[in-house]
Amino acid sequence: MTVLEGGKISGRQFMAVLIVLRIVPVTLVFSLISNINHVQDVWIAVIIGAVITIPFAVLVTKLSLRFPGKTIIEYSQILLGPVVGRLLGLVILWCFLCTSIDITRVLGEGYVIAIMPETPILAFMVMLAFMSSYAARSGLEVTCRLGEDVFYILVFVLLLTYVLPYNAMRFENLRPVLAWGVSNLVPPVISDLGFYSQFLMIGMLVPYLNRPEDATKYAIYAVLIGSGLMALAAVVLVAVFGPTANSWTLPLYSLSRMISLGEFFERIEVAVMAAWTLSTGIKLALFLWAASIAIAQLFNLRAFEHLVYPLGAVIVASGLFFFNSMVDLEDFLAKAGAVSSILVAGVTLTLLYAALGIRTLIRRRKGGSG
Amino acid sequence: MALGILSKALKRLLSRQRKDSRALGACPSSPQTLLSRKLRENEAFIRDAFGNSCDLIIREVRFGISPGIAVLVVHIDGMVDTALVSEAIIKPIGVTSELLEPERLSSAQVQDMLKNRLILLSDVKQVSDIADLFHSIAGGKCGIILDGSSVAFVCDVRGFEKRSVEEPMSEVVIRGPREGFSEVLRINTSLLRRRIKDPSFWIEEFTVGRVSRTQVAIAYIKGIANDKVVQEARDRITRIDIDSIQESGQLEEYLEDAPFSPFPTILRTERPDRVTGALFEGRIAILTDGTPFVLIAPVTFLLFLTSPEDYYERFFIASAVRLLRYASFFIALLLPALYVAVTTFHQEMLPTPLVLAIAAQREGVPFPAIFEALLMELSFEILREAAVRLPKIYGPAISIVGVLILGEAAVRAGLVSSAMIIVVALTAIASFVTPIFSLSIAVRLLRFPIILLAGTLGLFGVVFGFSVVAIHLSSLRSFGVPFLEPIAPVVASDLKDTLIRLPWWAMDTRPEFTGKSDLRRQSRGLMPRAPKPQENKISGSPGKRGST
Repeated sequence: MTVLEGGKISGRQFMAVLIVLRIVPVTLVFSLISNINHVQDVWIAVIIGAVITIPFAVLVTKLSLRFPGKTIIEYSQILLGPVVGRLLGLVILWCFLCTSIDITRVLGEGYVIAIMPETPILAFMVMLAFMSSYAARSGLEVTCRLGEDVFYILVFVLLLTYVLPYNAMRFENLRPVLAWGVSNLVPPVISDLGFYSQFLMIGMLVPYLNRPEDATKYAIYAVLIGSGLMALAAVVLVAVFGPTANSWTLPLYSLSRMISLGEFFERIEVAVMAAWTLSTGIKLALFLWAASIAIAQLFNLRAFEHLVYPLGAVIVASGLFFFNSMVDLEDFLAKAGAVSSILVAGVTLTLLYAALGIRTLIRRRKGGSG
Repeated sequence: MALGILSKALKRLLSRQRKDSRALGACPSSPQTLLSRKLRENEAFIRDAFGNSCDLIIREVRFGISPGIAVLVVHIDGMVDTALVSEAIIKPIGVTSELLEPERLSSAQVQDMLKNRLILLSDVKQVSDIADLFHSIAGGKCGIILDGSSVAFVCDVRGFEKRSVEEPMSEVVIRGPREGFSEVLRINTSLLRRRIKDPSFWIEEFTVGRVSRTQVAIAYIKGIANDKVVQEARDRITRIDIDSIQESGQLEEYLEDAPFSPFPTILRTERPDRVTGALFEGRIAILTDGTPFVLIAPVTFLLFLTSPEDYYERFFIASAVRLLRYASFFIALLLPALYVAVTTFHQEMLPTPLVLAIAAQREGVPFPAIFEALLMELSFEILREAAVRLPKIYGPAISIVGVLILGEAAVRAGLVSSAMIIVVALTAIASFVTPIFSLSIAVRLLRFPIILLAGTLGLFGVVFGFSVVAIHLSSLRSFGVPFLEPIAPVVASDLKDTLIRLPWWAMDTRPEFTGKSDLRRQSRGLMPRAPKPQENKISGSPGKRGST
């Protein structure tokens, strides 16, 4: 058995890339908000999402820890047998590819909408895919090392964006709380969980941790910090834009445009765009890496590096082909995309744990009889 | 892809060449490998090997009363200290052996007499291999060949013209030692040895280059440097099979981890204090004879942006200067690109009065900003290159041409806007802030593609270019150490001496990756504290002290 990826990552890097993975698509396009009629309660939806996600993240991590050095693609073949396991692997791979396609298109749309409306979207997508493929090809270590730095930059920029428009914030905009009942919260929770179902990535990362025993702790931190940043964004956006916050296409970007300190410190939307581009690059690199590793492990290839650039090209093409516009994309992310990825994550986890339970039962019985 | 093809082609080319040139540098034109017992034959070998070289001196001395034994003293004129040769070799053999009758002695006794009594030098070696003898003579040693015996002696009497130890040209400090390395390996090792007076400071010597026979030395502190890194350096040096090494830059290309990177992964310096500083961090130094530039490895990117002076100045100032240097690095890499991007695509980012001012300046300029930027950067690079190469006498002329024609007249003629001149000038000055020249060249080179990206895709292009550089940098390694070490991966304990410099008494440990074998470098709690006033007997009451 040849080693596909020789790199090792630290717990902090693991946490950082998971958080980047969670908050990247929404740093500009806050689809949770666009997906709700009464925006006042989005922060509650985010908290509910976190409460549901923590057990999910812990379960994925614990499962991976039972198979040290094996990715979710490998141990699903062990648990479910080569055929069903491979099928499940293909589904997971499909999810990885879908996410890559989404974020590539979102970044392109973001640039076209916000900054350079006359440049073809293809230019941005190709450059992004090239940059991420370069990082993915250089290996997990490189991606995660940069991921940690990008995470710090992203958090810094986000916090600036949250704090600096304090003049425009009206916290009474957040009231009334839960006036429209719990049913109002369902769409944003689903959307949130849709993004969190990407945490299947944990199953690809845990085998490469230098100290796997910390994985659970860092996975929980990742959910807490990720959701914390999201909830803050929800609060700030509603406080600034009021009940109509869901009508903005790129709400966080628009928020950053409002910042002005002493007529000198302004235009931090450039920093927001830069941080967003960097973190999208890292996220795409991670998914390209995971997809290439998955393909290599599904089809018993000896190296994954050669798959990265072709996959990047496929993703750019599909990104152009699959969606018509930003509205289309957002709609997909919030509804069909979210639901399907929640389904995949749920079914994967259930299947694997069921198989694990059956295996342990059989082994115990054998042990008892023998 | 393209790089892969290129490297394959290069490899093929190299392997073909290697077959052809293997013969050169072997023992020149002598069928024998051992010395003959006959003096004349040996003399013939030497004359044959060195050809008609005018600086070859073969002096015959007789040992003992007549007829005695003939002794040949062979050396290269100009490479040896002639006075020393006559005082320490020719005189004792010729004068003090007057009373001896060497014919009565056996050959071994004669050899012993010469080696242990007569030759008044500390470094005398016996050789019997003809190639050894030739190489030693060519390297400036003095060969002594006896009639009737098949061994020769080689003594170190090297003394040639050399530059004295001067202040380094390329790394100037205000506070700190003024000594710089010189071209002679032995002087350089002594500069280091004088700063580390401990037997654990080891220097290993290698000979690289079949014909040039350049001495290359690895210096490290045993116990601090990682043995694996030292072994890796040894392997990489002994791997080199080439006819000549002229400069450490040439050596660097054979030693580095990333041969296709624009960034240097080995640091070169002229300053001994910098080298010893690196040695105490667990790094190793590679010294090359014939050049004042010493290589240091493994290094990290941020090391290229430090100066030895950071460690001699007060730490607040040193930290501020470091931050300034990092800012200058980004200015040198990105400023023209940002200017192009903002003026071409994102005018709304600038305050309105500034946009109007720039627009007014650019009104008569016939070129787009990207072309303007490339033009000005290119002409500045030409100017800079000219200023380095031209004879010093022409210095004022070029500065007049540069300032007047390229600056003033270009703006007057409406070829470039004066804002662009400011940007280019600031970029140029910022690129001089980088203390290590090899990094600043890399930045100069990368600036051009980033300007192109900025001109086509605006800020996205700049972010893209910067990301690709960052990904590339973080994928580099220098002798196994990640090149962006304390930043990517983040190593909290190493940030103490990178982004800022903590005071010396707070930097208790060596860098994580290089100093692992002996991490702690000082005892804890060395922060100086002023004594409390009531305990302060010295300054408190000198009169009382005197009376008791």
